This record gives sequence, C-alpha cells and structure tokens, in this order.
Amino acid sequence: MSFNNILDTAPVYEILVNDKFITNNDLAEINDFSSRTELSFVKIALTFGYISRKNYERSLINAGYQFANNVRDEAFDENVLSKLDLKYVCNFFALPLRIENNQVVTLMADPTDMEFINFVRETYRMEPRIILASDLDICWMSHKLLGEDYVKSAVFALRQSDPANSASTTFTTQQLIFIFVGLAITTIFLFYNFIPVSIFLNVVVSSFFLIAIMFKLFLALMGSRFEMHQAVSREEVRDVIDDDLPIYTIQLPVYKEDKLIKKLIWNLQSLDYPRERLDIKLLIEEDDSKTLNAVKDLNFPAIFDVVVVPFHMPKTKPKACNYGLYFSRGKYLTIYDAEDIPDTDQLKKVITLFEKLPDNYICIQCALNYFNRNENFLTRMFTLEYSYWFDYMLPGLDTLDIPIPLGGTSNHFKLDKLLELGGWDPFNVTEDADLGLRAYSKGYKVSIVNSTTYEEANNEPFNWIRQRSRWIKGYMQTYLVHMRNPIKLIKKVGIKGFLGFNFFIGATPLTFLIYPVLLFIFFTYVVFDFSFISQLFPNWVLFIAIFNLIIGNVLMVYINMMAVFKRRYYELILFSLANPVYWIMHSIAAYKGLYQLIVNPFFWEKTNHGLSKTNQVGSANPTTTL
Amino acid sequence: MKKSNLIYLAFLSIVLAVYYLVLGINLHYKGYYNHESLFYIEKARIVFEGLGNRLKVIGLTSPILPFYGMMPFIFNYALAPVIASALGTALLFFLIAVCTQKTTKDPFFMFVLLALFVFHPGILYTACSGKSIYIILIFFFLFFYNIFRFYHSNTTFHISISSILLVALLFCDYKFIWMTLFFVPLIISIAIQSLNLAEKQSIFRLFLSFNNPSLRRKLVNKTFAIYIIIFILPIIAVMCYRILNQTHANDFNYFLDNPYSTWNVLITKLESSITPAIDNYRLPEVSFLTTIRIIIYCPLIVLAAFLLRQNIQYFLTLLIPLALVEFLKIEFPDVFLTQQYYLIFIFISFIALLFKSTVVSKNNIYKLLIAACILVEIVSGYVYLDNSFIESEQNFITVATQGQTKPDDNFTTTRYDEYIEVAQYINSMPRNSKVLVDDANAYPIVAYVKNIHKLTLPYQDIFLSAIENPSPYVNYVLVATSTNTVGGYTQLNEKYKGVMEVKNNIMMDKTYETDNWTIYKIRDKEASFASN
Repeated sequence: MSFNNILDTAPVYEILVNDKFITNNDLAEINDFSSRTELSFVKIALTFGYISRKNYERSLINAGYQFANNVRDEAFDENVLSKLDLKYVCNFFALPLRIENNQVVTLMADPTDMEFINFVRETYRMEPRIILASDLDICWMSHKLLGEDYVKSAVFALRQSDPANSASTTFTTQQLIFIFVGLAITTIFLFYNFIPVSIFLNVVVSSFFLIAIMFKLFLALMGSRFEMHQAVSREEVRDVIDDDLPIYTIQLPVYKEDKLIKKLIWNLQSLDYPRERLDIKLLIEEDDSKTLNAVKDLNFPAIFDVVVVPFHMPKTKPKACNYGLYFSRGKYLTIYDAEDIPDTDQLKKVITLFEKLPDNYICIQCALNYFNRNENFLTRMFTLEYSYWFDYMLPGLDTLDIPIPLGGTSNHFKLDKLLELGGWDPFNVTEDADLGLRAYSKGYKVSIVNSTTYEEANNEPFNWIRQRSRWIKGYMQTYLVHMRNPIKLIKKVGIKGFLGFNFFIGATPLTFLIYPVLLFIFFTYVVFDFSFISQLFPNWVLFIAIFNLIIGNVLMVYINMMAVFKRRYYELILFSLANPVYWIMHSIAAYKGLYQLIVNPFFWEKTNHGLSKTNQVGSANPTTTL
Repeated sequence: MKKSNLIYLAFLSIVLAVYYLVLGINLHYKGYYNHESLFYIEKARIVFEGLGNRLKVIGLTSPILPFYGMMPFIFNYALAPVIASALGTALLFFLIAVCTQKTTKDPFFMFVLLALFVFHPGILYTACSGKSIYIILIFFFLFFYNIFRFYHSNTTFHISISSILLVALLFCDYKFIWMTLFFVPLIISIAIQSLNLAEKQSIFRLFLSFNNPSLRRKLVNKTFAIYIIIFILPIIAVMCYRILNQTHANDFNYFLDNPYSTWNVLITKLESSITPAIDNYRLPEVSFLTTIRIIIYCPLIVLAAFLLRQNIQYFLTLLIPLALVEFLKIEFPDVFLTQQYYLIFIFISFIALLFKSTVVSKNNIYKLLIAACILVEIVSGYVYLDNSFIESEQNFITVATQGQTKPDDNFTTTRYDEYIEVAQYINSMPRNSKVLVDDANAYPIVAYVKNIHKLTLPYQDIFLSAIENPSPYVNYVLVATSTNTVGGYTQLNEKYKGVMEVKNNIMMDKTYETDNWTIYKIRDKEASFASN
C-alpha cells in the first residue's frame, strides 16, 4: 500500500496515542528527546522502549495501513541512493529506493514523518511514493545498500592507518627468517651434539616455565591486594546524579542469538542508567535472519537500535564492532555479549572511575565470571580460570602498570580515544587483547573496576576447544604483531611492559604447547625408565625439572584456589586440583590454534551459546555468537 | 607509611645490625661456636669449593632456608653464620618496626620493641650466635602477623601470604608442621564467625550452623576451604621436598633423619647424652610445666590473652604456639626446647599488643604492665639461657659473661677446641695428602680445614670406593674413637680400622690422636715388609 496523499492521514503518533500504546506523557517525552537529538519519532519510540514492534505494527494495521512484505526484493537505483547518508536515513527508518512514475519510491516505517518526506521532496524535487515497511527491514536495506563504505572502512581502516599494528599480515618476512633460522641452527646443533644441546634446551624450557609460573604467582599476589581496595565504592555510585550522566553506547555483537534476545532485553533493562542516555546497538550480521526475526517478533518494547552489518570478509566480531562505531553516539562505549548479565551499577561505576582517573586512562575492564559455574566439570574449571584471570591476573598487571590484555566483553572505552586508536583489528581474533596492547603502546592506560559481568560458561568440550583455540590463536597473532619490532615495543611500553607482555601474552600459548611434550617425557620416564631420557635429565636438570613439575603445577593450582576463595565459591576449591587435566584441553586447543594460525589465520571459530541449562538459557537449539 | 619513617627505621636497623655484628664477632673470637653454624659452614664449603656431586648438598641440606640464608656471606666462612644471624635479626626488627608503624602511631611500642632487641638475652643470642633462630622468627612473625591481618581484613591476600610464609617456616624448622593440627579449632571458629547469622555468641552460632543442613554445608565448605588455602601449599611443598629426597637420596626422610643432611640428628643425640632428660630428671621440662615456664619467660602472653579475651579467633591463635610447644614435649620427650620455642611467644604477644594498640595507648596501666613484663622477660631471658639444658645456649652465656668456654665434662678441652686441633693437624699435612673423612659426625672438623680438596668426603663418588679400599684413594683416615659420643653415626670408627687392615692387607698407623678422634696413616703391608 502506498500513500500518495499524505496530508489526509493522521500522524502515526496520534494513532498510537489513540490506541493507548503510548501515553501523552510518553509523546511529550519523545518529542522533547527528538528535539534534543536528530532522532525521529519512530526511531525513539521503537528503540527506546516506548512501544513494541508488534504493537506498532498492530496499531498501524488497525488504522488501515499495510506493511510491505518483500521489501528486501525491492528494486533500487544507484543514483537515488548516492544522494543519501546512511546515518541520516537510519535516524528515520526510511529509505528512498528508486524513481518510478516521477515519484521517489521510499520505504518508511513512519509514513507520516513530515521531516523525511520534506527531505525527499527537497533532495529529489519529486513527491515520494511511500511503502510502509518494518523498521528492521528498512534498516537491513539501508545498511545493505549504503553501508559498503563503512564496512570497508571497518575492515581496512587500521590496516591503512597503522599497518604495523594490523594482524592482516600474520608473519612478517623478518619473523619467518628468525623462526626458520632459529630452527635450522637448533637442528644443526642437535645433529652434531645431541645430548648437550638437548640438555641445554631442556634447561631453557624448564627455566622459562619456572619464571612464567613465578611471574603469575607474583601477579596473583599483587592482584589479591586489589580485593582490599574498592576502585569505586557504593557511596560514590549512590552520589552519581542521573541528569549529569553522558550518553553511553553499548554494543551487542550477535550472530544467530535468536533464543537469547528476550534475556538480553531483561538484562539491559536491569541496568541502572537513564534510558534516554543509553545508546544500545544490536549488531546483526546481514545473513542473520534468525536474530532479526526474533527482534521483529518481540512482543514487548526493546531498548536497542539494530545495526545490520553488511557482508564483508573477514567475518569477525571486531569488524562488526568497528562498523557499529560509525553509528555510536555515546561519550563512552562498552561491549557485551548477548548472554551477559552485568552488575546493575556497572556503567555508573565506570563513569565514576573514569572521572577519578587521569585523562590518559581510556579503558576500564570489568571482571567476568559465570552464572552457570556449577553445571558440570568444564563450567567449574572455566569459573576457576576466569576468577583467577579477572580477579587476580588483570588487577596484578594493573598494579604493576603492565599492559592489560582486555577481556572479550565488558571493557568500557572513551569513544573518542577508541576511534583515535583505530578501533579493533578485524583481522585479529582476540581483538580485545590486541587493543589493550595498542592502547598502552600509544601511552594510554587501562584500569580495572570492582564490577562483574556474568556470562555463560562453555559447558561442552568440543565447543570449549573451538572457543579456546580462537583465543590462543589470537594471543599468538597479538604476540606476532607486537613483536615485529621488539626494540620499538620496549620504547613504547618500557622494559617492564615488554617483559610482562612476553610472559603474559607470549608465554601463555607457548606453555600450553610445551605442556603435553613435558608431560609425555615425564610419563615415559616414570613408566618405561628409558635410558636416553635419563641422559637428557642429568641429576641437576632432573632437580630443576621435578621442582618445576611439582612447584609449577602446585602454584598454578594454588592461584586458582585463591581466586575461588576470594569469590567465596568454596565448593570449587578442590576442583583446582584438576587443573593439570584442564590444561591438557588447553594444549589441544593451542595446537588447533597454531594450525589455524598457519593455514587460516583470520577464521573466526564460532562459539555456541545458550547450551546452559542454568537460568533457562538453554534450549533445544543452541545458537552461535561471534 | 612515610618515606622518612622508613628511612628512620632502616637507620635504626642498621645500627642494631652493627651492634649485633660487633657482639657476635667478638664472641666468635672469644671462642663461641655451635654445631649448627659449623654444619652450615662445612656444607657451604662443599658447595663452593668442593669437587664432585654437590647438587645433593645444595638441594638436600636441611633446614634449607637457613643454609641459603648464610650463602651470601661466605666471603668469610667462619663468620658467615654470625653475619647472617646479625643481619637477619636486624631485618626482623625492621619488619616488626614497619608493621608497628603501620598499625599504631604510639611511640611506646617502638620503645618496647627497641628495648627487646637491644637488651633481651634471647634475642641477643639469636643475633650473635650464628644459629638459624633469626630466620625462624622472621617467618613465624610474618606468618602470624598475616593471620591476624586476615582476621581484620578477611582478604585472600593475607591468608595466601600466610600460607607461603608457613612453607618458608617449615623449611626453617620442620617441627612447625605440627602447628597444622592446632589450627583445626581455630579454622572452625573463623568459619563460624564468617557465617551470616544474627546470633553473636560463638557457641550459639555453632549450634545453629550444626543444626541447619544449609548452614552446615556452608560451614563445612568454608572450613575446608580455609584449611586448604592455608595448608595445601605447606603440605605439597613438603611432599615435593620428600620426593626430591627420594629421587636424589633414595630416602623420603633423608632431610629429617640423615646426619649428612641435617645437623639436628647428631645434636639431638649429642645433647641428650650430655644432659639426658631422664637421668637428670629436669622437672621444669616436663610436658605440662612447659606452659608455666613459658609464662614466666614471656608474661606478656598473659596480658595479650587478657586483651584478646573477647575475640575467640585471636585468642585461639595465641594458644596455637602454646599447644605446639606442649605437643613437642610429648612427641619428643628427650629433646629440650631450644630458645626459638620460647622466643616465639614474645613475638606473638607483641603482635597481639599491636592489634590491641588502640586499647593499650589509651590506658597507662597497660603501658606500665607491658614495661614490667618486658623487664621480667629480659631477666628471665638471661636466667633461662644461663640455666639452659642446651649446650650452645649455656656456652653462649659462659663466653659472653666469662670471656671463655668451659671444658666439657671429663675432658681437658672443649669439644670445639678439639675440632680445631684436629683440623689444624690436617692443615699441616703435606699438600698432596688425602684424608678420608666422614662428615656425618666430623663436619665441625671439615669446617675448620683450610683446603677442602685434601679431604675425601661422602658427597664425592669415590668415597664409597675409598671406604672399601682406602689405599688407592687416600693416605689418611679420620676415625672416631670409642669414646666419641656420636661415633656410632659413622663407619669410620675403631671397628673399621680392624676390618680394613684385615680385608685390604694394609697397615693403619696412628699419627694423631685426641679424646674423640684419631688420624691413621695408611700403608700397604707388603710395601712396609719390603722396606723392612
């Protein structure tokens, strides 16, 4: 149905008020909001929780309107599109498509929006022929047809502006030469003098292990001091004045998360932050009809704005986030996964901390933990690991002023600084860790806040290995990127930062790769007592190796115990003892990650979410997220 | 804490260190020695000068931390233990002073601390004797200080640091492992206190938590968790060390039972033979009377207990060392309590006073009482040392007050003079001489030998061959005489001489002899007949 006599129809807001879907107060609020921003009535009504899409559709249909069904198949004219700005049309949920019979065929979610109608008249010097369509379909079409420049920029901006920090090249020529020459020299030495060289390598590996573990214990102890210190107290949060709060962007990159959409809205609604100052972007991939339809079918108001990310390789989460940056309005920005449950006062805590910290602090990382920790062995181990990582390791790095590899979600940025850094690296599969490093190398700092976001722990082994292989591959990528020029890195982050980076980012994948080799040697030695192994372990090396094996394992187990003790998850404390088994899974993931780093470095191993039975998140069909 | 305060405390510690060094070196030159120091000197000389498999000595000398604590000062082997103990005690003062400054601004506590460190005979003994008491006290103090801090802050940091410190303490004195037993009631008390209950009285909290399944589960989980967090590291560290002992010495208990590994084995035997508890019937060292001895030695503990009477956790913590000492008297009835088992009470009561410093600062009566207690402690410290059943403690007071050591019973010289004499004889032997020595009991002699390459010792691979057939490897053998109290700890005794002469067709000629030691020169029988 098209509307040629626009002036004859009642404005949509009147229809909604008459149908009692919005009140006059709501209308006044929306108009006030609209006058302060560039957002249209329909945009505010649908994306700030005033009316559900179902009710909006119902109300318009009752008023005699008819929504077009196959909007995505509508023909379009490049000349018409060339006069449009994606951000502008997104604010109206409207899109002029083509000229037909001397009229501009225009998709609109609010066919009575005079501002956009006048825009069409002025731009094309013609009357519009309006096709009423769902805002989501229009959004999809807008991004699909007008988003190409943005998505290209999202993918290539960092590579063009700062190629030295882009993971688009995995191994540089110098790195390849270094690796192969190193291997060749080692092989030659082994060939000529096998036993002494093997002993030497053995000692190097043992010492490396010991230093890495001692460093982690030291970090954990440093970090454990942090639990005495409340970065932001409850009183400080209570004193925050809502009217003074800035606009806060929340990015929600999702992929096939149709089952989690409802939960996502509940979680977002529980955030203690003024609704009109939230700018929540649900980043949906172009081919993700499942999630888009789930949003369309919501029968209660949503408080997020959908951004459809046009198809472009590599299909990664950082690319989607970069794309979302172009549409973000906030002073601050954070990322959550669809299943995340952040502490309700998290945003206020972050803002309070940003105000307390010097200007060069551009990012604040919150702790991550799991709501389904007691589901099975894997979720328990994952909880142990995350507790130690976010409660001890990261605060430890923070205390020592060593670059912090950011966690996957709940990292809060100053948006302008994030843009200055060039956003996330779409070619890096742990873009968060990489960004933390880049921030440090540019002289910026990252801090930690005493707030937690609860996520869903992976409860399925193969799914876990997929996820972990991506993380470890990402660490390898990050290490390779930042070690392209070690001297330059030392100059940027200092010797402490350099060592911290090496022992934290570099050592992590390496220890997982070496662990099964050492374990194999140990068991072979214990079971078969091969004499050649004894030759590789003279008494003093055996002394170091046994010390490492036992003390190293014990210390790592103990750090895990400390972390769950701090979290008061006493029932998990004995599970720390199972860490050596858990590390074998890490090693499997590390080898998978290494293989992928060589053959398919940008491939994003997707993690299935919604498998948990806890909190009714689980359902028959698991979904997948970026 | 202000930097100026820190500098001031560091300065005080340096002055104390100099004071201890002057006293310690002076006593050393007046002839004060003890077996523990000599044991470490001998092992350090093997590590730095020896030829052969030194790894076992490096790794399995026990207690290991005091041994390593002495290592930085081996530029002078004879004085290294004294330097270590003097500097270590000054460090102990510094640590306590820093904790004191962090806890209270009242200068009274600093005066008390200084008075103890300057005048208390037990602490002077710690600082100047060259024994490892200083390192035991450091870790003991830090362990309990962090435990008390944990009650205060309830943070994992303090409890995990305590655990690490307990590991260190065990590697200074293994007997402290028994302390784990007495933590059980304390930990239950901590767990009960931490439960979220309206009831305030501990006994009712216990009753409630035992009768409610959910609370009971929480109580069990928490008790277990705290126990694990404190004790898993020490337990595994000991296990690990035992495995190292097994892999390198074929004995899990090598570090506890073997005279090559630890000085305790021999000294326990030696001192119990000098003053056997049963023979002399030393009443004050009877198990339950130990508590009274401790209260007289450290009356401050009573005041500390009084101040902490309202808080069950703090109170139980004070009782732990007491229970440990009583237990040690039951477990090892023949072993007298050495000075560290008294001194720990001074430090734990000082920690208690620190945590009650606000109460003490407001009330001058408490200050008067503390001053009086300190005075009593200084006097009783002297009396206890003077009447000690431990040879090294008695000697310390004798040398300090009379300027010389007393000869041992039935002998004309002291045991240490005898060691020096034998060592001097070995030093005077021709440069290429080789002496077979078993340092299981002869380590004090080895400690005084200038050139350790003259000696063939058990850490060397050829020792076993040399002991079976000495003549190809050594020219001399040091043998313990039948009067040597610890002669049973070595194969190289008078029986050995007879066996070797018959078995290897050699002659062993006595070349030097003291009350407890004989040096034999080895000659081939055939060669001697030929020459005749």
